[in-house]
Amino acid sequence: MKKSLFQALLLILIFAGIFYGLSQVNWMKLFRVEKVTDALEKQLGDMVWSDMEKKSIESGPEYKKLDSVLNAICKGNGLNRDEIKLHLMEDAEVNAFALPDHHMVVYTGLIKEAKSNDEIAGVLAHEIAHMELKHVMKKLVKQIGYSILISITTGDAGGEVIKEVLGILTSSAYDRSLEKDADLKAVEYLKNAKLDVKAFADFLYRLGEENEGAVPLTWISTHPDPKERAKYILKEGQMTRK
Amino acid sequence: MKEQNFSYVPDEQELEKASNGYIMSLVAVVVGLPLPVINLLATFVFFLANRRSTYFVRWHCTQALLSQFSLFLVNTVGFWWTLSVLFREDVEISNPYIAYIATVLCFNIGELVLTIYTAIKTRKGEHISWWFYGPLTNLICKS
Repeated sequence: MKKSLFQALLLILIFAGIFYGLSQVNWMKLFRVEKVTDALEKQLGDMVWSDMEKKSIESGPEYKKLDSVLNAICKGNGLNRDEIKLHLMEDAEVNAFALPDHHMVVYTGLIKEAKSNDEIAGVLAHEIAHMELKHVMKKLVKQIGYSILISITTGDAGGEVIKEVLGILTSSAYDRSLEKDADLKAVEYLKNAKLDVKAFADFLYRLGEENEGAVPLTWISTHPDPKERAKYILKEGQMTRK
Repeated sequence: MKEQNFSYVPDEQELEKASNGYIMSLVAVVVGLPLPVINLLATFVFFLANRRSTYFVRWHCTQALLSQFSLFLVNTVGFWWTLSVLFREDVEISNPYIAYIATVLCFNIGELVLTIYTAIKTRKGEHISWWFYGPLTNLICKS
């Protein structure tokens, strides 16, 4: 019996040892997973954006306002501002989203709804977090599949798939845990940039209350409960709501 | 793994049944069923069918079942990890995942080779006792 127990333990140790040994190999680098994904993201970003760019506003006071907020976040966090391609689009919907290859789209509806630059900063920080944490490609790979995404870039898939990619990124939230990760990262960005974290929480709270209104609050309705988000954002920022 | 003398000389029918005990665990792989539980189930069903059979047949069915059970455990972890990688946004392909799948693959291939080898040897009338599984079978399976 003792011998069998010892052998069982040895077998487990052999398994664990092989697993540990193989874990030391950088398989992701060996199989060039990250390199291929980065190249795919760049191609996808260009293709998706070319489908939308006609409606883009790249100047004017609202764009300048957005740009200055984005600059402040990037400067405070050592992020490369030039890497982020900011786009403002004329649309009454309260929405903002990240596309592959660091394209960030904000609708004019969201600018109108925000009462201060700090409120806008919260939304931008959240979207930057999705980009920096590579959530955009994670979501696309899970929902559409690697092979179909590659087929878009090689021209084998039609415009329907591009529309599907857009639909997924513009009007559906990420996995709940990824949304929370993005919120918490956004708080970190706001704090580093010395921007008001409470304004971000207030914005979410207010939109949560207004969610039944006439203007579609896509950025809120597709995401997890805004009040719950506001709570943990305040907690992370170590503040309390009055 | 070593060849040992069994307590009696089994007849031709016993040799065939005992050898089939190992073959059963391979049937599921051959027919292309990827679920890790299928191999175990196939072996278990065969084990149940032969639980009142002769000692030699029971012994080999038990050894096959025990080896399949430990493989089932590691395969199940790999199976659910793969499902999470495929369908959960917060789980992605990583170095530990690839390492685990490679480890499981090594153990599965090793087990496959051993199973085929043992099935052939058993059919020829040789009593093959596996390292760890053989002594464990001796503890469970009484004549």
